[in-house]
Amino acid sequence: MGDCEIDNNIRRLRFEHGEMTQQELAGRIGVTRQTVNAIELGKYSPSLEVAFRIAAVFELPVEQVFSYRGKRRS
Amino acid sequence: MSFREKSAWISFFCILAVFGSYFAAVGGAKAGRIDATHLFPMFIAAVVILVVLEIVLHAAVAIRSPREATARRDERERLIVLKATRIAFYVLAVGAFLAIFTMHHGAGPRDMAHGVLLAFVLAELAKFGAEIVYFRRGT
Repeated sequence: MGDCEIDNNIRRLRFEHGEMTQQELAGRIGVTRQTVNAIELGKYSPSLEVAFRIAAVFELPVEQVFSYRGKRRS
Repeated sequence: MSFREKSAWISFFCILAVFGSYFAAVGGAKAGRIDATHLFPMFIAAVVILVVLEIVLHAAVAIRSPREATARRDERERLIVLKATRIAFYVLAVGAFLAIFTMHHGAGPRDMAHGVLLAFVLAELAKFGAEIVYFRRGT
């Protein structure tokens, strides 16, 4: 995963929801495909609003989509 | 590559090419190879060429992805622009200070003006360069 302290299951959830593409998810939550990719790879932490929108797409609570890992030791 | 990233690449290389050529002419004028009275028309031409180039190249990219081109920036893109603008501010501040500093070392008004213009150009290059790096990295 990337540099963020937050992990997510978005890639798996997309696959489980009819093999949804990144572009489809991006269109439903109002961001670019590249932003969805950056979130999945842990390179970008979305705002609360976008996190809730993502969770709403998958009809799950936010904490089942995102989890807080805590700071990595370097 | 998103439209915003393509836009950053276009702006970066257009500014580098156009104002790189202009400052090469300024250097030529300092070395006596170019008549310094030609510099102002060259500057006007540089601005016009830059505007036309940016419009044409952005339009060409926008035609290929019109929805993306007209969409508002999303939160990550807005964050990238903010972070890049902060870097550009520091470059501009240092450059402007150095341009003013030349005044105390015998630089004339034309040299100072070119120094300030160079600071603006370097700040713009820093801004678009930083945007490109952030887009490549994710943020």
